[in-house]
Amino acid sequence: MSLVKKPSFKASWYLIGIFKGMGITFSNMIRNLVKKAGNDKISLAMKTYNYPEEKYEYGPRFKGNHVLTVKKDGSIRCTACMLCATNCPAQCIKITAAESDDNTVEKYPISYEIDILRCVFCGYCEEACPVDAIRMGPEWQTAALNGSDFSYDIKHLAYRAQLKGGIVSRVDEEERHKAGI
Amino acid sequence: MLKCKINGQDVEVAEGSSIIEAFKATGQDIAHYCWHPGLSVAGVCRLCMVEIEGNPRLQIACNTQVQEGMVINNNSDKIKDAVKWGLDFHLINHPLDCPICAQAGECQLQIQYMKFGQYDPEMAERKVKKRKVVDLGPKIVLDTERCILCSRCVRFTDEVSKTNELGIFNRGDHSEIGTVDDRPLDNPYSVNTVDICPVGALTSREFRFQQRVWYLKNETTVCNGCSTGCSTKVYFNEEGMWRVKPDHNDDVNGYWMCDEGRGTPRFVNKDSRLLSAWNGQKDEGQDLEAGAAAKAVGQTLKKVVAEQGSDKVAFVVTGQYTDQENRAFLSLAKDLGVKVYHWVNNPEKMDEFDGLLIRGDKNPNTYGLKEAMKEVGVGSPWSELESSVSDLEYVVVAGPENHFAYSDLTDKVDLFSKANHQVWFVAGDHDVLRAASNKVSLIPTKTYVEKDGTYKNFEGREQRIRRVMTLVPGALSLTEASKLMSGQELLVDGNVSESYRKTNFFSSNERGYL
Repeated sequence: MSLVKKPSFKASWYLIGIFKGMGITFSNMIRNLVKKAGNDKISLAMKTYNYPEEKYEYGPRFKGNHVLTVKKDGSIRCTACMLCATNCPAQCIKITAAESDDNTVEKYPISYEIDILRCVFCGYCEEACPVDAIRMGPEWQTAALNGSDFSYDIKHLAYRAQLKGGIVSRVDEEERHKAGI
Repeated sequence: MLKCKINGQDVEVAEGSSIIEAFKATGQDIAHYCWHPGLSVAGVCRLCMVEIEGNPRLQIACNTQVQEGMVINNNSDKIKDAVKWGLDFHLINHPLDCPICAQAGECQLQIQYMKFGQYDPEMAERKVKKRKVVDLGPKIVLDTERCILCSRCVRFTDEVSKTNELGIFNRGDHSEIGTVDDRPLDNPYSVNTVDICPVGALTSREFRFQQRVWYLKNETTVCNGCSTGCSTKVYFNEEGMWRVKPDHNDDVNGYWMCDEGRGTPRFVNKDSRLLSAWNGQKDEGQDLEAGAAAKAVGQTLKKVVAEQGSDKVAFVVTGQYTDQENRAFLSLAKDLGVKVYHWVNNPEKMDEFDGLLIRGDKNPNTYGLKEAMKEVGVGSPWSELESSVSDLEYVVVAGPENHFAYSDLTDKVDLFSKANHQVWFVAGDHDVLRAASNKVSLIPTKTYVEKDGTYKNFEGREQRIRRVMTLVPGALSLTEASKLMSGQELLVDGNVSESYRKTNFFSSNERGYL
């Protein structure tokens, strides 16, 4: 059942509201014309960015695009335990595990794909990861030219140009072994 | 019978049963690693602790016999404390590599830890490092660090497979499971040790890292690998079948199954299957809808029989189909008046038996087929087909779905190529069939996990198989194919009579542990 409410008497005087709103808009416009931004410290001008030349940078805690971390030797840190994929509410992570020839590694992902269009940026993957292999970084632009570019693979997630060779994971297997764990 | 009380519940058990068996009879939870119902009692894990009234010390349930009037509980604080510390000792040298462990999700140690543990470790010493990823033969990988020395696998090779390969070596915290000089553990039942391993020490090379177990659903069915007909559990997801495990059935297989039977995903999964019907000759032809192809074959067969006589057509059957399918197919043959021949894949090995489970007859339903042929009143000796095949217009073959057991497939295709046409109802896609020199029609059939029906095993025991999943949507069961061939329509009424098929497997709540 839907309720139909008649607009109240107060709401029928909408012209007042419109004039108030337009007043704010025009006063800001005139202020921006008179005072130019950036000239003095206590500028009254509104701060805007000249996107895309200037981009806002979020703090490191921002939940933006995913990053797969790497080990000290540059190989991928992920152990393909699938906890992120299990925890993902949007089911956007797809991992294929394989057996590694290296006895100390044993299991590693041969493919790790994130469908960024399905991702809801909740950060549960980051929380689930036992070895700090996946993080959500400060990057927030996900625009791309065609559909396949929205499916991020290992090459993009771990070694894209912005990461400058990869971000090193905080959990190091060798150090843990030395500590006797 | 002895009466006893377990956690306040009265239960009667047979004389000589252990307390843990009484627990199982009531269906109550009790932790146990080393005890397995199919093996002897070892009493080494010390986790099945119970408190018996009148006994000052805690006892292990697996090695204590029930006495008349015993009052037993395993839910007091004293027990919980004992189990917690027992678990702590098990975990002293256990590496915490659950993320890369193939057992995670169905690991008893994980389940137990979530129930009783959840403490910070109090061990100040370093963990003892042992060998990891030890190659233990073609089917098994051993990780000695994860092993908790329950000795189930050792007892299995001693008592069940009687091959005695495994043993526990060294002493104290350096003890580890292994084989002498790392000889391979390679017997026809070796993967059972993986099933009974409560932790991830023994893992199957085939299933390792393929899928996380919590993504898989399971359903009980009957193995179609040989005429023993073991009860099995198939593990599957949307992509297909991933592994097969034995299901407990005292009348047939106990707790075990052979390694060969675990290979059924090889011929069930989509990548080895015939996906649509095919008409052609020497690798050139066209794809068709399975139902339309079956109908067309039926019409031509009727025409050939009417115009040239029923001795121009022959039906060939194998013991790979269910009773219902056999009856439908044989009745069709009888209606047409054509002769039916039974293709026996390995006649010299048919009666072989290794004393435990494996039988030489690699068909699940040879018994049922013979019975159905007698009942319907068809069946002619194979030698007759061999001599008369070149005069035939049509050979209609209900081919094998497990083609790994049919090593004579190529020979038989060559034999049937002498006739003018050959029609194959077959689950797998075989190059030899497509390359045959005469005209070939291939019609895809369902495998044993995609249809309902009954198998009769070597002793005539009727066992039901059920539809678990659909892998090839167009495939027909032989019953459906026979119906179409005889000119009837397949009526899809949408009414599901079997209760277990009303639920959607992928939306039910049962999703494994964790």
